[in-house]
Amino acid sequence: MITGYAGLPFGEISQCEARSVGVLGVPSEVDSGQRIGASLAPDALRKMSQQLGIALPVNGWDLGNLNLLGNWSVTLMQLVIKMVDGDIVPVVLGGASNVASGVLEALPDLPVVAAMPMARGDVAARQEETIWVGLNGGQPADVWDQINQRSMAWRTARQLDEGDTGFSSMPKRAILWVDISVIDLGHAAGAVGLNPAGMKPETLVSAIGAMTCSWQAIVITGLAPERDTRGMSELTIIETLNAALRNG
Amino acid sequence: MDDVAHKQFDTIPSFLGVPVGDLEDLVPGQVAMAGYFCDNLDRPAAGQRYLARQLRYASRPENAPANVTDLGDVNVFPLEVGKHFSAVISQCEAILETGARMVLVGGDSSGLRALGIAVRKITNADVLVVSVTEGIMGNLSKTQPIILSVDLQELAGIWMSQPRRLSGLSPAQMIAQINATPGNVVAAAIFGLAPALDNRGTTETCAALAILQAVAEHLEKGAS
Repeated sequence: MITGYAGLPFGEISQCEARSVGVLGVPSEVDSGQRIGASLAPDALRKMSQQLGIALPVNGWDLGNLNLLGNWSVTLMQLVIKMVDGDIVPVVLGGASNVASGVLEALPDLPVVAAMPMARGDVAARQEETIWVGLNGGQPADVWDQINQRSMAWRTARQLDEGDTGFSSMPKRAILWVDISVIDLGHAAGAVGLNPAGMKPETLVSAIGAMTCSWQAIVITGLAPERDTRGMSELTIIETLNAALRNG
Repeated sequence: MDDVAHKQFDTIPSFLGVPVGDLEDLVPGQVAMAGYFCDNLDRPAAGQRYLARQLRYASRPENAPANVTDLGDVNVFPLEVGKHFSAVISQCEAILETGARMVLVGGDSSGLRALGIAVRKITNADVLVVSVTEGIMGNLSKTQPIILSVDLQELAGIWMSQPRRLSGLSPAQMIAQINATPGNVVAAAIFGLAPALDNRGTTETCAALAILQAVAEHLEKGAS
C-alpha cells in the first residue's frame, strides 16, 4: 500500500495548516516522443520516499492525485491559488511540463527559479525575472535574447558542477520549478528529455539548498521513473525537495 | 579446458580468493574472515545477508592477500535474538583467542555489535569502534586497539544499484580512509550493503570487493 509522499498522511486542503505543505500529484503524460512515463511519477515518488523512510522537514498533507478528466489545468490553478492564499506551500508532483504551466499561470506575479536544460519562452516572458539553473545546449535565439536583454541570472550545468553556484540577487519569494531533465542522463536517466552533460544530482540538491528565498510553490516535472531502474532520478527529486523545504 | 575455467569450477569461492580454513588453521597475526548471514536485527534491510556470498563469488585469486583465511560463515539464529548474539559472540571470541585479527563480512550492523562485545571480552579493554566515515582520529596512538566499522551504506548513491541517498563517499575515498586509519586494528566489520544479485549489482559488488581487499591488507599490515 502506498502511503502519502514522505510519510505525510492523505488528506484535503482544509486540513492543511498555515506554513505547511500540500503535496498534490498531477499525473499528466507527455503527448509526443518515445520517452513517456511521466504520469507514473507521483506514485513512484510516494513509493520511493516510503521505501527510504524519508520524512519532509515540514508538516503537511498529501492531497492525492488530481483527477485529469475535463479541464484539469483550471482545477489545478484553483487548488494552487487556494493553497497559497491559505499560506500553504503547494508541492506539485507532475506529470509533464503542462503541470508547471498551470502552477505558473496561477501565480503570475511571482518570479520563478527554473531548473531545466532549455529556457522556455513563456517563462522568460513573465513579468518578474526568472533565474535559470542548469541550462545546457543550444538555446532558442529569441528566448536567449529576452534573457540577456532583461539581464536574467542564469548558470549552465557546467558552471554549477564546477562550483559557480552563487546568484547575486535572489528574490525573497519565488516559485521553484524543477524539470528532472536538467540532470545528466548518465546520472539519472528517468526523464522524458535526454540531457547529456547535464547537472550532477548532488549539484542540483546543493544549488537549490543554497537558495534562501521562500518558496511559494514547488513543481516537479519530466520524471519518467520507469526509464531509471536504479531510482536515481526519484532520489534526486526527493533530496532536492527536502533541500528546498529545509531552507525555504 | 583452460586454466581460468579450471579455477572457476574446481575451487570453492572464498573472500578475495584466499584459502579456506578452520579455527585450528589460524595462527597469531593471521587475518580471519567470516561471513555474517543476518540482516533482520539492527537497521534491518533484506538482502544485506547476501553480501558475503556475493563477494566470494566475485573474488578472483590473483590478488589474494597472503596471510588471510576464509573461515566460512558464522552460525546465526536470526529468529532467536538471545541465542543468536551469544552464538556469534562466542564464535568471534574463539577466533580472536587464536591471536588472529578478524573481519566480519556482510549482514546488518548487528554483526559489528557482536564483534565489539567479543573483542572487549578478549582484550578486557574498552576498545574503540572507529568508523571510516567519521574521518581519522588524530589522537589515536599506533598501539591503541580499535575495531574498524565499514558501513557500505555510506557509499554515494552513484555507486549503488538501489541508491538510498545521493551524497556519500566514493570507494576510493573509503579505501583512502581505511588506509589512513591509525591504531592497532584488531577486528573489522563490513556491512550494510544489499547487493543486487544480477548484472545491476556489478558496480557495487566491485566497490565492496575493493574495500574488503583494502581492509584485509590493512589488517595484514598491522599483523606483520
